[in-house]
Order: sequence, then C-alpha cells, then structure tokens
Amino acid sequence: MIRLLVVIAGLWLALPVMAMSVVFINPGKSDEVYWLTAARAMEQAAKSLEIKLEIQFSERQHPRVLDIARQIIARPAGERPDYVVFSNDYATGPELLRLFDAAGIKSFMAFSGISEPAVRVTTGRPREHYKRWLGSLEPHAEDAGYLTAKKLIETGRKFGVRSSDGKLHLLAIGGDRSTPASVRRSAGMRKAVAEAPDVVLDQEIFAAWNREKAAEQSEWLFQRYPGSRLVWAGNDLMAFGAMQSWEKRGGKPGGDAWFSAVNTSVEALDAVKSGRLAALAGGHFIAGAWSLVMLYDYHHGRDFAAEEGLEMDQSMFVLFTPSLADRFLERYGDMRFERVDFRRFSKVLNPKLKRYDFSFGQLLR
Amino acid sequence: MRVKNFRPIASTLTRAIWRWSTLCACLIGLAQLTLSYYHVHQEFEAEVRAIGSSNVPLLSVSIWDIEPAAVQRQIEVIAEKQQIGFVCLTVSTGQIFKAGDAALSLGKTASWFEVPAPERTIGSIGKLEIYENPRAFYREMIYNVLTALIGYGILTLLICTLVVYFLKRELEHPLRHIAQFVSALTPDRLTTPLKLERPAGHQRDEIDLVVEGFQVLQDGVSGYISHLDELVVQRTQELEIALESIQSLSTIDFLTGCFNRRLFNERIAQELDRAERYQRPISLIFCDIDHFKLINDTYGHLVGDQVLQGIAKGFERNLRAEVDWVARYGGEEFVIVLPETGLAEAITTAERLRQAIEGDQLLEGNETFRVTASFGVAQHRLGETAQVLIQEADTLLYKAKQGGRNRVCPAP
Repeated sequence: MIRLLVVIAGLWLALPVMAMSVVFINPGKSDEVYWLTAARAMEQAAKSLEIKLEIQFSERQHPRVLDIARQIIARPAGERPDYVVFSNDYATGPELLRLFDAAGIKSFMAFSGISEPAVRVTTGRPREHYKRWLGSLEPHAEDAGYLTAKKLIETGRKFGVRSSDGKLHLLAIGGDRSTPASVRRSAGMRKAVAEAPDVVLDQEIFAAWNREKAAEQSEWLFQRYPGSRLVWAGNDLMAFGAMQSWEKRGGKPGGDAWFSAVNTSVEALDAVKSGRLAALAGGHFIAGAWSLVMLYDYHHGRDFAAEEGLEMDQSMFVLFTPSLADRFLERYGDMRFERVDFRRFSKVLNPKLKRYDFSFGQLLR
Repeated sequence: MRVKNFRPIASTLTRAIWRWSTLCACLIGLAQLTLSYYHVHQEFEAEVRAIGSSNVPLLSVSIWDIEPAAVQRQIEVIAEKQQIGFVCLTVSTGQIFKAGDAALSLGKTASWFEVPAPERTIGSIGKLEIYENPRAFYREMIYNVLTALIGYGILTLLICTLVVYFLKRELEHPLRHIAQFVSALTPDRLTTPLKLERPAGHQRDEIDLVVEGFQVLQDGVSGYISHLDELVVQRTQELEIALESIQSLSTIDFLTGCFNRRLFNERIAQELDRAERYQRPISLIFCDIDHFKLINDTYGHLVGDQVLQGIAKGFERNLRAEVDWVARYGGEEFVIVLPETGLAEAITTAERLRQAIEGDQLLEGNETFRVTASFGVAQHRLGETAQVLIQEADTLLYKAKQGGRNRVCPAP
C-alpha cells in the first residue's frame, strides 16, 4: 500500500516535468488581497490544466521585477519555464520583453499591456520585434470605473442628495497618475460623469492605492467640498480610507454619503452586503487564470492570434449586487477556487468553443 | 644715523595715515553698516518674496492634490534656506504645516502669500507665512561690513607701505645724505659739491632745489672767503709799508737822514760781535761840530739844521757806501762806524772828513762862513764793549777839542 502511494506520488511529481511550465511574476505584495486572489485563481487554473506554475511576488518593488526576470534567465536550460506571464506595472514591461525575448523564453502580458504610444515605438506589436512575445490580455479597466460611477450616481439620484446648485457633487480618489489601469478606471468614471448632466466632479485626487493616505486626503476633501456626497474610489482600500474619515466626521457611509470601490476583498463584499458601499466592481483578477487557459491552448497547437487577436482588452468586471457579493463570498471566500474547473474554458479541450468568454460573471452564475 | 628724539618722516607719516585711516575706517564702517542695514534688509525681503512666490505654485498643486507629505517637505525645504527662520502654512481647510524655529516668529511680522487653487475655481486654498531669520540677517550684515573694512584695511596698509617706500627713496635717503654732507662740511671742504644718487630718469624736484640752493650757498661762502683773503693780503701790504715807515722813522734821524742813536746802540753791538767772530778790524770815529751853538745862536736854528744836513751829506760822499755807516749821536755829534778798517785807515778817513767839512763854504744871507769839526778816532780792541769804545772815542774827541778844534785826535 505504501509502495503504491510512493509510486503514485512519484508519477504525480514526474508529470509536471513533462507538462508545460509557466512562471508568473506577480507585481503585487504576497499579502495583498487582489494579487493574492489573482495568484490563487491562476494556481487553480494551472492545477486544472496540469500546468507547472511558479509564482514570484515582486512585493510592489519594480526593480525586483527585473531581478526576478534575470534570475529566471540565469537558470540552466532544463529549468527554464516555457512561458513567463507578467504585468506591465510601473512600466517594467518593455524591459522584461527585451530580456525574455533575448533569452529565448516566450512571454505573455496579463493585467496590464502596452498602451503608451511612446512605448509602443520601442516594443512594436506582439510577435514583431519580439518574436517570443505572444500577446497580452487586459481586463477592460474603464469598465470598473464606469460601472461603479454609474451605479454611484444612480444611488445619489435615488437618495436625492443634491447640493444647493441642484446637482450631485462627486469626489474621486484615483490610484496614481501613471499606471494604465488607474488612468483607465478614472477615464471610465469620467465617462459616466460626462453622461450625467446633473453630476459635477468636484476634484480627483490620487491616494497611491493606500488606505491611510486616502483617509488623510479625504479629510481635506470633505472640508474643501462640504456639498459633495458621492465618493468614487479606484480600489477598495482607498474607499475604506475615505469612509473612515467620513465616519470620523460623524457621517454614515451609505446613509448620508455614498462610496464606490473596485476589487473583491471580503471587506468590500461585506460592505456591499451591508450597504456601506454603494457600488463595487471586481473579478478582473481572473485575467491571470484566463491567460493560462490561452497559453494552454497555444501550447497545444491552438493559437489565439487568429480568433481573439494578439492584444486583448476584454471586459471582465462584475458589478456586485449584495446577492452577487454573497455568492462570491460563498463560492470563493478565503480565495478558494477549487470549485472552478478551468478545463471547460479551453478550446483544445472543448473543440466546440469558438470564442473565449472573459467575464468573471460566468463564474458567479 | 642714530639720534635721540629722532623719528623718521616716513614713520611720522605712516602713524598719521594710520590714525586718520582708522578714524575714516570707523566712519566708513558706520556708513557701511547703515547702508548695509537697508540694503541687506531690502535684499532679504526680496529674497524671501522670491522664495515665497517661487514655492507658491508647487505648494498650490500639492495642497490641491492633497499631498500633505509633499507639502511638509516643501515647507521644510523653504525653512532650510538660511534667510528663512520659520515657515507656517495654514490650509483653508484648517491644516497647519510648520517648519523651522517657531521662536523666530514671536513678535515678528511675516511675509505672507496667498496660495491659490491651481485651476482658480475657488480662491485661496492656503496662506503661507515666512519669517526671516534674524541671525542670517545679522550674519549677512556683519559679512558685508567686515568685507568692506578688511578691504579698506588692506588698501590702507598697502598705501602706507608704498608711502614709506617712496618716502625712503624720494625723501628720507636724500635728506639723510644732505644732513650727513652738511654735518661733515668743514671750511677746507667747502667747495666739495653735494652729489645725490637719485633714481634714473627722475624729474627735478624740491630735493634738487635744496641741492642747488646748497651749491649757491657754497659758492657764495667760498667766494666771500676768497675775497677776504685778497683783502688780507692787501691790508698786510699796507701794514708792511706802514711798519717799514714806522721802522725807518724809529731808526733814521729825520733831519740828517743818518741813523739815530737807538739804531746805533743796536747795530754797533752786532758789528762788534761780527768783527770779533771773524777777527776783523773795526774802527769808530766820534765827530762833533765846532761851535755849533754859536752858529745856531748867530744864524738861527734853520741854518743850524742846514749845517747838520750839509755835514751828513758830506759824510755820505766821503764814506764807503754799504760798508761804512753814520749815526747822529747827539745834537751836533755824529758817530761813524768803519767796519773792516784799522786805526790808521780810520785816521785817514777822519782827516778826509775833516777836510771835506772845512773846505765847504756856507752861505747865509750876504755873508759866508766856514764850519769845522773835531774828531776822535779809536779802533776796537778784542773784548772791548761798545760802551768802552765809544767812551774812548769820545775821550779822544774831547782831546781834539782841547787841542784847538778842527783836528783829528787819534788813539795813541
């Protein structure tokens, strides 16, 4: 019996050697909910598809991203991965592309791709300058901003919290000025504001995705704009920071002011359920798992280039209602994705499948 | 040259320049201090204004974007400037940022700046107050004044050094040279010209005027002295002539032109000495005019005098010139000294003289008269004094008178 177990274990260990191998350079911190969730989803996808996945966290220090890349390249030929998945956070993408292409390792960008025209000049498109750059998959970040802002405005209208000028005043707390995801979320928010003639965006500030900074800055903002009752935030942490300072002023989030956020942290989902958060979008963490599915198909002879294109900017966000939040917590609470069998999204394994469905919503049905 | 109570001109000048320049430095320092105060004050204000207004736009953005850390950093950067003592930023939403030494703001007025919103949608979003740092202000002032004073001091030192150098070269050395020259000037070196070593190519100046003045003085003095010499020679000649005439007056009998008795006394001793020394003969004739008192009484003194003059002339004619000599011994007495002459020869000479006198016919009015004389002749003997010889001749004359006058009475 024991011998049999040893043999099975040995076979199971030997399997990944033959299977495709992928390294994901995670730009986030290893205790950061969003990036941890993304990593867990990828792990489940790898497990489903029998991919050997290795995840390296750069802990939000971009020089470290390059260190990790050099360390991968320095490995002996047999130990090098077949593919490297990384994000263009902090604009490290072009350098990573150059490094991996030179080392003969195929690469795929997930979460953030190349968007700046200036950068585009050096990188070109996938498989042009860098033949081994297969493509990129980004969640359509604008959706996150647009969906949450729209919902926030609707809520404001519902409660009729108009200022003396008869308009709804909105404050925005963005992440930063340079990360494409941040810029696009803000753009989505502005789009929603532009569509609503009764809404005024008082000011947008940038709190570096940070709860404390958002708390401090929102204190000023609330003083500066006493008539504002709607607060849009680029992520959950900043929304919580703003809520915290609102409460400090004696206010009640969801009662006399309304907040929106992005990301599927438990705290955020709970806030949606309790009504403290008026709007929450999330689910884009799934981009990493989808990338693995696409690479799996590519590895097994089904290139995504023809049917999906090389650079995909796909809608993934889900706007959470309290019931959806409840369902998410129920299914994937504690970042557990065992229930998802990613094999059913593979074109290779499901020949009838013609196009990928990238939305996270399908995982909440 | 070390002299008591002496101080070189250069030293005096240097001391004077130092004294005055120190006084001037104090005045200039005071003026500089006053000017500096206003100037530095204005400069400080301008700098504080510049610092304030150059920081306002950035502060405006930082406040607008609500970046408290950035705002605080900026405030600290402002406060780090040496002109700034304390900075205080009050945001319109109530937050206050401070940097620097708050103590420096007490009782001071601040330069203040309104921080506008970057987009100007709302007015001021903060007020920036900047307090100057008085320590930096005074440091700057002291620096200004010290720089000026040190520069002035160096310049004064330089000028003093140059004054000393040029004084020594242009004045002190020549003057000392002149002083040495003058102190060493003696009558015999009066004509030595004063020569100064002056630098090549130098222009004629006061020193040269002094040197030229000295030359004029020297020429004048030496000219005057040489004129004095000439005057002395002239006066000496005149004096010698006078002396000669006095001497002749004292040795010659003015009436007859013969030697007088005083000269006879002197000369006879010398003649006798010489005769004894060379063992030569010498004789003496004593002559007295016979009845001369009678002639005087009869024909008057004028005729008496003429008689005496006539006899003296007769002697001169009948005696050897330059050898024999005659002295008027008394009123009508003559002494004839005959060097290198023995008694016999002397007697002959006396006889010749007697005949010469006797032979002369004298005319007075309408009548003629004859004058005769008596003679005593003696030869000098070895060891015999003049006194004795004269005595002897006189005795012989007396004998001749006794013997009837108009005769020669020789010594036996």
